[in-house]
Amino acid sequence: MGFLKKLEPPDKWKLPVILILAVFTGIALFSFHISNATSYLGDKPETCVNCHIMAPQYATWYHSSHREKTNCNECHVPHNNIFSKYFFKAKDGLRHATIFTLRREPQVIFIKEAGKDVVHRNCIRCHSDLLTDSRLLARSDEVHNFRMDRSCQDCHRGTPHGRINSLSSVPWARVPLPGPVVPEWLDNIIKQD
Amino acid sequence: MINIQEKLKSKPWLGWVIFLVTVLVVFMLGMLASSIVQRRAEAVFAYTPEVTFSESEPRNALWGELFPREYDSYLKTSDTTFRSKYNGSAMVDMLEESPRMAVLWAGYAFSRDYGQGRGHYYAVEDIRNSLRTGAPGPGVPSPQPNTCWACKSPDVPRLMNKTGVSEFYRGTWDTKGSEIINPIGCADCHDAKTMNLRISRPALIEAFQSMGRDISKATHQEMRSLVCAQCHVEYYFNKTITEGVSYLVFPWKNGTSLEEIEKYYDNIGFTDWTHSMSRAPMLKAQHPDYEVYLTGTHASGGVSCADCHMPFISEGGQKFTDHHLQSPLNNIASSCQVCHREETEKLITDVYTRQDKIIENRNILETLLVRCHVEAKYAWDKGATDSQMKEILSYIRKAQWRWDFSAAGHGNSFHSPLELGRIIAGGIAFAQDARIKTARLLADLGENREIPYPEITTKAKAQAYIGLDMKNLMEEKELFLENIVPQWINTGKEREKSY
Repeated sequence: MGFLKKLEPPDKWKLPVILILAVFTGIALFSFHISNATSYLGDKPETCVNCHIMAPQYATWYHSSHREKTNCNECHVPHNNIFSKYFFKAKDGLRHATIFTLRREPQVIFIKEAGKDVVHRNCIRCHSDLLTDSRLLARSDEVHNFRMDRSCQDCHRGTPHGRINSLSSVPWARVPLPGPVVPEWLDNIIKQD
Repeated sequence: MINIQEKLKSKPWLGWVIFLVTVLVVFMLGMLASSIVQRRAEAVFAYTPEVTFSESEPRNALWGELFPREYDSYLKTSDTTFRSKYNGSAMVDMLEESPRMAVLWAGYAFSRDYGQGRGHYYAVEDIRNSLRTGAPGPGVPSPQPNTCWACKSPDVPRLMNKTGVSEFYRGTWDTKGSEIINPIGCADCHDAKTMNLRISRPALIEAFQSMGRDISKATHQEMRSLVCAQCHVEYYFNKTITEGVSYLVFPWKNGTSLEEIEKYYDNIGFTDWTHSMSRAPMLKAQHPDYEVYLTGTHASGGVSCADCHMPFISEGGQKFTDHHLQSPLNNIASSCQVCHREETEKLITDVYTRQDKIIENRNILETLLVRCHVEAKYAWDKGATDSQMKEILSYIRKAQWRWDFSAAGHGNSFHSPLELGRIIAGGIAFAQDARIKTARLLADLGENREIPYPEITTKAKAQAYIGLDMKNLMEEKELFLENIVPQWINTGKEREKSY
């Protein structure tokens, strides 16, 4: 506590220090708020299109069969335990946020090695039945190595996002729907009746 | 730690360093905040088209200037070359395919003309061509009300916005002929400013209200079916809501299943028409596509209409929703194979197998219904009384309602084969009930031999059998198409110049 005591400003300075700290905190909170920061803790796919450059990924997933069973995190973050999930999420997320803020995103976004590995493991997590021969109840290391030598994505390249992936590939995709579904004039007419 | 004030006294430049570092940090924080704000705003504007037309713009080509790919694919609904085993995008004369239908609809406009429709592109043209709308001219009104336009054009929400809903429906079909000239298109499903999906027809909103549901709570995925459900549903004209107006209503108050809709009609004592042979109080099922789809496996799997009928396609480096609404059988790769990793041939065979099996029993029911009407007429001719016929006629009503519910939606037998199998089986049971009662009644009336099945092997024979003067109807139509329709189009185009 002695350390904190030393940081404490003299009495005459207290007011200006409080004000200046408040300005900092305010700007930080503002950034936190407008960046929708709390949403990053959850699993909603809408969160990933907080950055609009993810629209092609969102739209292609939405038009794939994976829409019914998965969200972005099901495939793109590890699920072996909660710590590695959030560690990976934070690591990837901060990199994404930095590149997006600096406007350094490439025209065509490719997945990095680390992400590829996570996706591969998640393919197996759900589709293990496709890879395991139930007649061979034992699971040897060779089988394991054989599986992990190649990636599902090496062949299933278009699953689920398709083969065309530039930032401008879905110019009019309706990423999470805003706004009312009944036009105002019709709403008024119906309410009158 | 030495007191910072003492440090500052000995090294005055340190004050400047602290000052500049603080300025830099605040500046960077501000930059970050403004960058986030900017990029958030981009997200809004990046996908917002530069709309220069009004909310109710009915001319599809104007929207097409902003969305060339979507518009181009929409224009392909004019292609009529694809035919599947039973349906497709060509006009199919259903009465020619199955002349029995003409007998089933005797006394009703459908016995004149019933075509399996072409694409949306032809919506306005085909309703003008149909013999059901008659041949209006000076002093001769159409037999149909303006309500028949309700699903045909983006001119409908434009007019409803101007006149109100009831006033739109008021009057005979010919009185709005010059107002409605653009075929089903953009404004029927899209909001002009945001391009969001929207509901432009009051009947669906009111149907949701009648079920105690709020359509504004619909999710995006539900909207991808609900925009279709504005039209591809069972409906009837209610004459009691507004005096002298055929008000469009979806009979969903009790629910959307066949029995729930039937109960609704029975409760309000509704009859579409009285059959001219059997005098049964008939119901005509329109196209309960959405209702039947809801009972199918694709609906329960969360698949929407658009997922199969408007899949994502790519062209060059772009992906977009295919606005060429058509049978997925003509586009297996983009529709079925997104989920079903099977060979095209096998998938098509799967669809045809279901359709074959359903139509097998539907044809049996159809034939039984012809017999029902013929035998009931025979009983009337033999002097049967109202009270003797009452139960028989109510069975005929039930049986044909089941047949029509199955037959009227062209995709039904694939959308929900199980439900259709159930419905048709019920129809066959009711038709047999009607025939057994009629046979007993005929026996009482002294007639105990089999009533012969009519000679109705072609459309022409069937129509002659029910006493239709087709030659006259077609000639009148020809004159109407030649003389009246061009006037409608001219007046409409003149008006559009002022938009």
